[in-house]
Amino acid sequence: MNESPPRSLLPSGLRDALPPEAGAEARAVGRLLEVFHANAYERVDPPLVEFERSLLDGPGEAVSPQTFRLMDPVSQRMMGLRTDITPQVARIAATRLAQAPRPLRLSYAGHVLRVRGSQLRPERQFVQVGAELVGAPAPGADVEAVVLAAEALGAVGINDVSVDLSLPTLVPAICREIGLAEDEARRARVALDRKDPAALSGLGEETRTLLTALLEAAGPATDAIGRLKVLPFLDRTRRMCDELQQTVERVAAAAPGLNLTVDPVEFRGMEYQTGVSFTVFTPRVHSEIGRGGRYELDTGESATGFTLFMDALARALPAPEPERLVYVPFGAPSEASTRLRADGWRTLQGLSAVDDDMAEARRLRCGHVLRDDAPVEVS
Amino acid sequence: MEPIVIALPRGRILREVMDVVRRAGVEPEPAFDDPASRRLRFDTNLPRVSIVRVRSFDVATFVAFGGAQLGVAGNDVLTEFQYPEVYAPLDMGVGKCRLVVAEPAELGAHDDPSRWSHVRVATKYPSIARRHFAARGVQAECIHLHGAMELAPALGLCRRIVDLVSTGATLRANGLVEIEHIADVTSRLAVNRAALKTRSREIGEWIQRFREASHAD
Repeated sequence: MNESPPRSLLPSGLRDALPPEAGAEARAVGRLLEVFHANAYERVDPPLVEFERSLLDGPGEAVSPQTFRLMDPVSQRMMGLRTDITPQVARIAATRLAQAPRPLRLSYAGHVLRVRGSQLRPERQFVQVGAELVGAPAPGADVEAVVLAAEALGAVGINDVSVDLSLPTLVPAICREIGLAEDEARRARVALDRKDPAALSGLGEETRTLLTALLEAAGPATDAIGRLKVLPFLDRTRRMCDELQQTVERVAAAAPGLNLTVDPVEFRGMEYQTGVSFTVFTPRVHSEIGRGGRYELDTGESATGFTLFMDALARALPAPEPERLVYVPFGAPSEASTRLRADGWRTLQGLSAVDDDMAEARRLRCGHVLRDDAPVEVS
Repeated sequence: MEPIVIALPRGRILREVMDVVRRAGVEPEPAFDDPASRRLRFDTNLPRVSIVRVRSFDVATFVAFGGAQLGVAGNDVLTEFQYPEVYAPLDMGVGKCRLVVAEPAELGAHDDPSRWSHVRVATKYPSIARRHFAARGVQAECIHLHGAMELAPALGLCRRIVDLVSTGATLRANGLVEIEHIADVTSRLAVNRAALKTRSREIGEWIQRFREASHAD
C-alpha cells in the first residue's frame, strides 16, 4: 500500500505558526526593532537567497553544511539560502555601505533556514532579529551591543536576562603561546568545549594546570575576573584578558541589574568571532536566546553585534495581556468602531444581522459587545 | 529558589555513584532503595532537590534538555550523544571501565585490519563506532543493540562488537578477545549548560560539593 501522507503533514522542523503565537511573535519582533530604531540603528533587509559564494565566503564558511542550495536557472550559478543574516549585513557594510559614516549601526529581522535541526532544537526555519555595529572600537561598541540586547529583551518583557561573556580567541592564543602541537591543541579544544578537565590528561603538566584553572575560572563575572587575574598568562593573552575585564566592568556599570557571567573558554559556534563575544540566556527557557560578538568584515574592518533567536525567545515571552476585542453588530454606525479602534480596542464587525448579539460575540470569542455606543462585557 | 533535579543512572554503577551523592550531602527518601518501588522520582533530605532514576543513556538526554540540571553519566554516553548543551566539569572517578573493539579469538589470527574498507559491528554506541573507524578511513556499518552485544558474533549478526569492558570476564565467557582500545570510561558529573549560565553561583556550588565528595576517598 502506498498512501500519500495527509496534506497537513509538513517536512520535519517546519511548522505553521497559528494564532495567538504567530501574532505574539510578530509583535515581539516589532518591539525589538523599535528599540534598535530608537538607538539609531537603521534597518536593512537582505534577500533570502543569494549566490553561494558571497553567502559562504569568510564568516559564512562555518555554516556551509547547514545551507540549502539551489541552482539559479537565470545565471546558471549556485545559490544558497541564508542560515544566518549577520554575514549578509557584513557584506552590505563592506560593499554598498562602505562609504556610509562610521560607526555604522544596522538592524534586521528575517527568516533563516538550515538543513538540519537537532534533537534539542528541531526547528529548521526561524526568525532572527539582530543589530550590528560596524567600525567601532572595543570595548565601547561591545558594551553597547550587550546593553542594547538587554534593553530590547526588557522591552518585550524578558527582564531576567543573563549574559555570558567570553573570549573565543583566548584558547587558540594560549595554545599557540605555549606551543601545543596541532593534535594536542585540538584535544584541548574538545576538552575545554565540554568543560571536561579529565579529558585534558595526556597534555603536559603545566598546560593542564593552566587550562584547568581557566575552566574553573568560569562563573559569576566578579568572581571569574578575580580568578583570571591571578593566572600566569603571557603578554598577549594577558592583554586579551585585560580587554575582557574592561568590557565586563563597563557592562556591569552600564546595566547594573544584568546577571553577568564570564566563561573564558567558551568558543562553540563562535568560530568567526575575533574578540569579546556573548551568549544570552533567560531562566524561562532551557536554551540560549541569542548570541553576539566581535568579528571582522572581509575588508578588515572590525564590527560587533548580536542576533536573537525568535524560536527560543518566543517561548520566554510573558503571557499576553487579555485581548480587548469588541463585537460590533451589523448595522452599527461605522464611526463608533473607528472611535473604539482609536481608543485601542480591536473591533470585530458583524457581517449580517443576528438574533442574539451577545451569543454571537461569545461564539466569536469577543470579550465585549458594542451596545448603544459603548462596549459592554459579554456575560 | 528554583528546584534542582539530579538524574542518576539505573543499574551497575548506581551503588558507587550513590556513595558520592550521599557524601555530597544528598540523602534520598527510603523508597529510593526499595527494589519493589515503581517510582521514578524521589524527594531528598534537601528541600527542592529531587532525584530521578533513568537509563544511563537517558541521563544525558534529560540533562541536555534541562529537565535535570545535574546528572551522572559515563563519558561513553556523553561522547555518543555529543549534546552541545551538556558540560562534564567533574570526573567522579567511579564506574571505571573501557570501550573496546572485540572479535572472536579465532578471527584475530588471519585478519588484516589495514585492508578493510568497511566493518560491521554490533554496538550500543553507533556514533562513537562510526567516528572511531572513519578516523582511519574505514566505514562502520552498525547494528544497534541495547544489550548482550557479546551474542552477536556467535549468532552471526556480525563478527565484531564495540562495547564496554570492565574485567573482560563477559568477553572471555563468550569466546571474544579485545583487539582495540577506543577510550577509558569513568562517570562524569553532567551539567546543563543553560542552568550553569543562569544559576551560575548555585550550580557552581553543587559542582564544588560533588568535587569534594568525589575526592574524599
